Amino acid sequence: MNQLPTGMYQPGTSVVHQMKANIKIFCFLILTGAVLMAETIWGYAVLVLFSGCLIYFSKIGLQTALSSVRRLIWFLIIIFVMNLCFYGPENPWIKIGIFAPSYEGLMQGVHIAVRVILMMVIGNVLMVTTAPLVLTEGMETLLLPLKLFRIPTEQIAMILSVAMQFIPTLFEEADMIKKAQIARGARFDSKKLLDKAGAVMPLVVPIFLAAFKRADELSLAMEARGYRTDMARGQRKFGMPTGFEWLAIITCSILCILQILCL
Amino acid sequence: MNKMTTVKKSIITAVCIALCVVLPQAFHAIPNAGSIYLPMHIPVLLCGLICGWQYGLLCGLAGPLFSTLITAMPPMAYLPPMMVECAVYGCVAGLMMKLVHTGKVYADLYISLVAAMLAGRVIAGIAKAVIFMPGKFGMAMWTTSYFVTALPGIVIQLVILPTLVFALMKARLIPLRYSKEA
Repeated sequence: MNQLPTGMYQPGTSVVHQMKANIKIFCFLILTGAVLMAETIWGYAVLVLFSGCLIYFSKIGLQTALSSVRRLIWFLIIIFVMNLCFYGPENPWIKIGIFAPSYEGLMQGVHIAVRVILMMVIGNVLMVTTAPLVLTEGMETLLLPLKLFRIPTEQIAMILSVAMQFIPTLFEEADMIKKAQIARGARFDSKKLLDKAGAVMPLVVPIFLAAFKRADELSLAMEARGYRTDMARGQRKFGMPTGFEWLAIITCSILCILQILCL
Repeated sequence: MNKMTTVKKSIITAVCIALCVVLPQAFHAIPNAGSIYLPMHIPVLLCGLICGWQYGLLCGLAGPLFSTLITAMPPMAYLPPMMVECAVYGCVAGLMMKLVHTGKVYADLYISLVAAMLAGRVIAGIAKAVIFMPGKFGMAMWTTSYFVTALPGIVIQLVILPTLVFALMKARLIPLRYSKEA
């Protein structure tokens, strides 16, 4: 909990940083579709190439883009090995007990690992190049069609924006409570799983109580200043997409269509 | 007495969404903690129980999404079924709290909680079998992943959540359900 979570916003002046948040989220959704549709090696190759271009144009560096992948490397290795050993028991290369590695398993393992890595990289680029508040405003713009179904989009956007603001505060709060528990003898660094689990459990209730106390204070302050959820609020105008943004939308759409049709 | 205004419900929902990101990180020192202790389910169920079904639904949808975008857990490939599961938890917990009035806070909480936990697991299982993993997700897998592996998490939820709601009521952070229990 001491380290900052991956995907924290890093200010910059790249073309991806300058794109409007709603366009970036829209492109992200199209790219997610493209990754989910990819089935062949060529399909993945095109997506990997595109992700490389995305990292290059966003100027965030390969290390930042792959930070979340590094954190989950063991998870990915386990998923890969499990698929390799258990997926295709019909034509195994060799059979040792329940383990039956096969070509089908190998391909399925690669398929899942590449898909997860691509999704992480694309998600990371979105988060690192977009400020949290702008991101929620972008979400609000994209949620606007839901108003037709009488869904309170402004309220949802406010909730998401407050949630974003609360994350670092609650991380600090949780860290403080953790340190207090260590001072009382909790064993977070123990190698025994039961000790670790036993140390984590007493964190839960104080974290919730502290979080709800903050929520109570904030809601009281907002109400005291006359905040009402049923009143229209000022909204950021994102305007029409620029030439580069149109190019990004068209490229992402073509990529998605190619994945569905031919790759 | 604290009243549950729309603003307060919104802020509590926001806090619960943030807790969906923070709480799993507290458990991350334990291997495979996510599927054993189910830390993300606790804020979602709590949000549904306290604020109502609409807020629980939003928390269930946004909580896993934020967690994936910020901490990369759960991985993007597991996000859609997780969102379905959490959304049902939050929504059913809220609906049940609205419908069930036994006169005892703990009874209301347990009935709503158990109904939400069952509904979430059943709908997530159906969603996996029909949409997300067609042909690969069977009854044995469902029982193992949702009940056997997650048994410690289920016990924790049944112990912690009603206690937590009661503690919040006692601390006057949320209104009492029945005035005679004041």
